[in-house]
Amino acid sequence: MPKEAVRRKLGTGVLNRGDRLFFGITSAASYFAFILVALILVFLIAQAFPALKDQGLAFVYGSTWEVTPEKAVMQIGPMLYGSVLIALLGVLLATPMAIATAYLIVFILPKSPAKLATNLIDLLAALPSVIIGLWGVLVFTPIAQGWADFLHKNLGWIPLFATDKGTTSLNSSPFIAGWIVAVMIVPIITSVTREIFSQFDRELINGALALGATRWTVFRRVILPTASGGITGGVLLGLGRAIGETVAIYYVLQLSMKINFFQILEPRGGAIASWILSRFGEATEAEFHGLMAAGLVIFITTLVINLIANIIVNRAQPWRK
Amino acid sequence: MEKVVADPRPAKQPWNKSSKLASFTGGRGFADATLITLAFLLAAVVFGLLLSVLWSVVSAGAGAMSPQFLYQNNRYISTTTSLDYGGVGHAILGTLWLVLLATMVALPLGLAIAVYLTQSQSKLRNLVRSITQALAGLPSVVSGLFVLSIISFLGAQKSGIFGALALFPLMLPTVARVAEEALRLVPADLRLAALGLGAPNYRAFFQVILPAAKSGIITALLLGLARVVGETAPLILTIQANNGTNLNPFDGGVATLPTYIYGFISAGYASSITRAWGASLVLLILVGILFITARLLTADKKKKKAKK
Amino acid sequence: MTISPVAAELRSEDVSVWFGERQVLKDVNLTFRANRVTALIGPSGCGKSTFLRTLNRMHELIPSAGLAGSILLDGKDIYDPSVNPVDVRMEIGMVFQKPNPFPTMSIRDNVLSGLKLSGLRVDNKDELLETSLKRASIWNEVKDRLGEPATALSGGQQQRLCIARSLAMNPKVLLMDEPCSALDPGSTRRIEATIEELSESMTIVIVTHNMQQAQRVSHETAFFLADENTPGGVVEFGSTEQVFGQPIDERTNDYVNGHFG
Repeated sequence: MPKEAVRRKLGTGVLNRGDRLFFGITSAASYFAFILVALILVFLIAQAFPALKDQGLAFVYGSTWEVTPEKAVMQIGPMLYGSVLIALLGVLLATPMAIATAYLIVFILPKSPAKLATNLIDLLAALPSVIIGLWGVLVFTPIAQGWADFLHKNLGWIPLFATDKGTTSLNSSPFIAGWIVAVMIVPIITSVTREIFSQFDRELINGALALGATRWTVFRRVILPTASGGITGGVLLGLGRAIGETVAIYYVLQLSMKINFFQILEPRGGAIASWILSRFGEATEAEFHGLMAAGLVIFITTLVINLIANIIVNRAQPWRK
Repeated sequence: MEKVVADPRPAKQPWNKSSKLASFTGGRGFADATLITLAFLLAAVVFGLLLSVLWSVVSAGAGAMSPQFLYQNNRYISTTTSLDYGGVGHAILGTLWLVLLATMVALPLGLAIAVYLTQSQSKLRNLVRSITQALAGLPSVVSGLFVLSIISFLGAQKSGIFGALALFPLMLPTVARVAEEALRLVPADLRLAALGLGAPNYRAFFQVILPAAKSGIITALLLGLARVVGETAPLILTIQANNGTNLNPFDGGVATLPTYIYGFISAGYASSITRAWGASLVLLILVGILFITARLLTADKKKKKAKK
Repeated sequence: MTISPVAAELRSEDVSVWFGERQVLKDVNLTFRANRVTALIGPSGCGKSTFLRTLNRMHELIPSAGLAGSILLDGKDIYDPSVNPVDVRMEIGMVFQKPNPFPTMSIRDNVLSGLKLSGLRVDNKDELLETSLKRASIWNEVKDRLGEPATALSGGQQQRLCIARSLAMNPKVLLMDEPCSALDPGSTRRIEATIEELSESMTIVIVTHNMQQAQRVSHETAFFLADENTPGGVVEFGSTEQVFGQPIDERTNDYVNGHFG
């Protein structure tokens, strides 16, 4: 008589008290990660609520920030837009550099220079943003200003490189802030790209080269198409980082509520996180809530970007599981 | 990713230098030469920028360096006081102290998350991993605002403990991720061997897995420290500055290297800027020590693994 | 459970095993008699190693693992909800395919690690150390270097150290999962000799790919086989002499004579 086999419950039985504690503590710690995210959200919402209720949707798109003891109009449109503009500029500058660096590390350089390059890039990621900011305003800005002058002089007829009448020195612009952000996100994009590139069989690619394929065709037709998904994820991670960047941008950018749509050389721009830092010192009670609301906007934006980025990166790197 | 057909050449043909050179110099045509040149140029920009940062900090920071700069505090020092007086001693202590406080929570918690991700059989593991990854992207200013809202909610005064609290969410994901990688490097065999001897999971972990992953866990700690030691925005938002030395986390302001730098840049005088550079050099050295030690530990581990 | 000094009988009743939804073993009924060495043979992927791991509840450490049926140790079901898997594994020891001494421990600590890991106390540790190493016939080679790290030993010595480590727990049953597959012929011989001696005091189940080894060391042999896309099972079980000499099933005959596998 064939009888149906009944599956037994496994992993049960009497667990040691020590093990119950062990798994209890580690699970609790893991759930705490959820609680932490939830707590951040709850506290920010609670503190942002008065401002959001007061200002309505215009908080996000309006472009006035006037706070007096009597009334407060708080709108972060130009700052939010500026953050996105700078982040996009940063990503645009950083992505080719990151792909090039990863390409050299994985496919071209011999082992020990490649290792050195990897370590240097990781060191760059570890540099505190306040140091990047100090360097950015004192060392880099004069250099980049030269580049900006060059661009304006030769390509000023393109609206992108045009400036307002009467603007003389091209510093403190989204262009410079974009470079600073690029410096900070190059390591992020490089390390994701490098991981993906290193999954290619180097011997195989050299074999293809030996058979007459050019490096360019291999890069264009094999490497880039396969890796593009993962690189996109890395770029998004960089974008998230760029939108949250505070101190470094604070030093190199002239924050202005007069929106600057695309004149990237004009010394006027926005960055929401830096705005919080700049207003925070003398904030009134009402403004305090407004700045919390701005923080909430950053948090939600970066959280969404990062979740999407991580899904893409994880999918592109199945070997990490 | 697909692995395509096997390489037709004999295994491991050494890649001699001349053939490499040929490929650089356009032996394979214009497109290749352009590709390689472009790659080197772009990478040169990256390393140029990095070296510029490092060199600026070292050269300008050296101008502020003196024994007294390292151990004195900032009391009675104005933004224009000569560099013969005052230093970052209080800020070094403050930074180390706050970071240590953050570590005391972030390390055990991060380690526990790493253990959960590697040892438990729960179905929630992927979710926990995702949320930890998402936390890694938490902007530091948001962490500062979060703690600031806690301060406001409690009606408390800003103090060192809140600064440490603002560093903690930034440190946690780094520790968890690196520790998870370290635990993953321990051969599964060892855990099975321990369990096969009748060990409960916690003993297998503490007596076999953790010792085997020791250097990796230390790396996790060091990288976690490096991640937060230079954080500025969260500290500006949650602690008061202090010109003197104060290690009481519950009362008064605490000076830290990043906030010290921030303050002296903002002051804008030549001597204050030099102080900022000097503090940057100290901070850079701190980060460098953490970073290099972490790398040496990892390299050591990998070498041992390769030997086997 | 109380620890009895004598070997025990181990029996599987209608054991079926799954990984996720895929069934890999169906209705395995085997009796491993006390003080006997039983060899599990069969081609790769027939489920014999998986079966071995169900015998001391190591199988369930794989997240998707499933199981039906019972494993009885001296008549008592080791999968009973009232049983702690930790106790099971203390009575039913295991030696793995690849030698896996604990790299952070000395030779001495490795042998005694089971005590520490399971929280047992023993009065005379040195005596236990010596006895265990002697039973695993490695005492003479390591007695002067007990403080050295276990990783300093050769592969064969490491494997015998792992056996000593299991023996220190005084198990009733010892499971061995291809213990010699990573070793040279000399080490293999020594371990086989050890197995023979050990069977005087315990029940041994050994998975092996090596027909000669099965014939040399075992009293009984079970032949496992899995047809394509069907769960594995036992084709034939009997005395080693019979299974290799006069196999009843044709497939056994083909396998033991090297026609496939």
